[in-house]
Amino acid sequence: MANGSSVDVLIVGTGASGGAAAWRLSEAGFNVLCLEQGDWQKPQQYPTAHANWEFQGATSFAFDPNIRQLPEDYPVNDSESAVSPLMFNAVGGSTIHWTAHTPRFHPSDFRVKSLDGVADDWPISYFDLEKYFDLNDEWMGCSGIAGDPANPPRSERPMPPLPLGPDGERIARGFDELGWHWWPSDSYINSESYRGRNACNNCGPNGFGCYQKAKGSTDVTYLPEAVKNGVEIRTNARVYEITVDQDGRANGVMYYDAEGIEHHQTAKSVILAANGVGTPRLMLLSKSKQHPDGIANSSGLVGKNLMFHPYAMVTGFFDDPEPNTFQGALGNILVSQEFYETSKRRDFVRGYSYQMNRSSGPAKTATGLTIGPVKWGEGHHEEFAERFGKSSLLAIISEDLPEEHNRVELDPKLTDSNGIPAPKIFYKVSRNTRKLLDHGIRNAEKVLKAAGAHRTETNPLLRGGGWHLMGTARMGDDPERSVVDANCQAHDVDNLFVIDGSVFVTSGAVNPTPTIQAIALKAADHIIDERQDLKG
Amino acid sequence: MPTKEGKLTDSDKRNMRAAMDRFIPPVDDLPGAGSMGLLDEIERMSVEHERYRKSLVRFLDALTLDMSVEVAGGFLALDDEQRDEAIRDIEGSISNDFANVLEVVYLAYYSRPEVHKRIGWRTGPLQPLGFELPPFDESILENVRKREPFWREAPD
Repeated sequence: MANGSSVDVLIVGTGASGGAAAWRLSEAGFNVLCLEQGDWQKPQQYPTAHANWEFQGATSFAFDPNIRQLPEDYPVNDSESAVSPLMFNAVGGSTIHWTAHTPRFHPSDFRVKSLDGVADDWPISYFDLEKYFDLNDEWMGCSGIAGDPANPPRSERPMPPLPLGPDGERIARGFDELGWHWWPSDSYINSESYRGRNACNNCGPNGFGCYQKAKGSTDVTYLPEAVKNGVEIRTNARVYEITVDQDGRANGVMYYDAEGIEHHQTAKSVILAANGVGTPRLMLLSKSKQHPDGIANSSGLVGKNLMFHPYAMVTGFFDDPEPNTFQGALGNILVSQEFYETSKRRDFVRGYSYQMNRSSGPAKTATGLTIGPVKWGEGHHEEFAERFGKSSLLAIISEDLPEEHNRVELDPKLTDSNGIPAPKIFYKVSRNTRKLLDHGIRNAEKVLKAAGAHRTETNPLLRGGGWHLMGTARMGDDPERSVVDANCQAHDVDNLFVIDGSVFVTSGAVNPTPTIQAIALKAADHIIDERQDLKG
Repeated sequence: MPTKEGKLTDSDKRNMRAAMDRFIPPVDDLPGAGSMGLLDEIERMSVEHERYRKSLVRFLDALTLDMSVEVAGGFLALDDEQRDEAIRDIEGSISNDFANVLEVVYLAYYSRPEVHKRIGWRTGPLQPLGFELPPFDESILENVRKREPFWREAPD
């Protein structure tokens, strides 16, 4: 077994949260090591640089690790889950394959119990995070426009909005006709050259990495600066245990390198940034005499309260020969938050957002993403023609309230290529969520019709839609009801931190990454301000 | 039947071509998917990705063994309507494998330049050209900007 010299802070994962924290801590002079089970990506080799980009997108660059099956991936048993979890393992993590649609949580999202009597309040507020949202927008590179009436006032965006395109304008007019809110999306995609990265050239499928580096993934935003500050990023390093001293404090991790050789890396503190499935998996794997149920799990809540944001998808089909609805960033057009908040007139609590999505290239149009494949046989060409370049989509992203039975466990049989138990997901869509999605479907049909769609088609629950992994090491003031405190420090282990989507108390009804990154930056500042004992 | 490695026999190839012609029939001046010469590409994709390989083997097994096609001359001896019926039976009995086979056929067919030309898609990689879109025009915000802020305040 090989051993590395000790570091101040060891971060597991280099995605949204790990990248942000590595930069912030290294700016303050901490000696930081990141362990990442994937490798650096080469933007010039992303699928869109190749003629067979759609085949790569369906296989080696698929969102689902069970389809991708790359050496750096681990399998996930999702046989007991209504939704398949999605993730990417590389330097940059899932920010390589995200669409970089970046709305913020609302103030009400942090006070669900106080306002609506459900779930729990967070121990922090929107305004505790506000300056970190702004800092993150600057570093990741946000295109957008201030003035959205559905959200608190915010600073001018670093770049103007991405083009709405004629297809986006058409849907915007549909919302206008109904008198419903819409607003251009905030996106971490450059609408103009920014900090040495190119502007987006509207190629479309930004879920397959960004050739132009126009999309803010942490491998092109935070991490290059972190490396300049001296951060070491050790790739192809698969962590399988957080080790502890006799007092139960973290003293490092065990990991396998690409050759399958085991290493023990020591550290004064450990930060987990492997998101809502990878983090609880690692915590549950880290059993010891001091932590018999997994590290920092005296509450029994590690792995529990998994939240996904179940998606329903409504596609509208339009007759006009123009515009081509595949031109432009896939999901970075507009949002509507008309139905974001609880209303006494509805039979569910909390709410949802709409996110407009574009269509895709010819093969993806035929194989289907949010609706089934184009039918085979007679009528195939007619159905393809109706879809290709002529469809636009409203995704309904629902608030997903925490329920303990929705959870991540260790699978008793399934393992990764190193023989480490794989995660098993148990997840059911709640009655409240179902009502909420159905409401969203009915209203999406109205919007699309108002925008001129001659027909709509609905997927009431997108199985392959588990992009957002939250809640499995929740934050709170009460150690019996939460895993980490308001500073992301484990209640049970004072030098162990969790800074990813696992700490979410509730899910909001928006894409979570800006909130994840704001939390990570805040946690880093807590370490800088209050935990100098972990330095040097 | 295909070998374990997914290598297709001549008989498999004939059956597969015929099935593919039913999946995506001829249109305009293009032949059906089976007559377009895609089979080598599909074999290559299947070897590269196990999910497709396994499903292709099962699909061709079913195409050969299914009782409905056990007539003299097998699947090839059926007329178009009978072929569709046989394929639908297979689709119902091994739906996941069928979906994978259909996916790989669609991926191959809709990657061909002659198909791109017919449907009006610029063939080749998406990058570095991308697409041109007019820049964002703020005038479209005129209506929504009239709305008062309606975000919900929360206790601190």
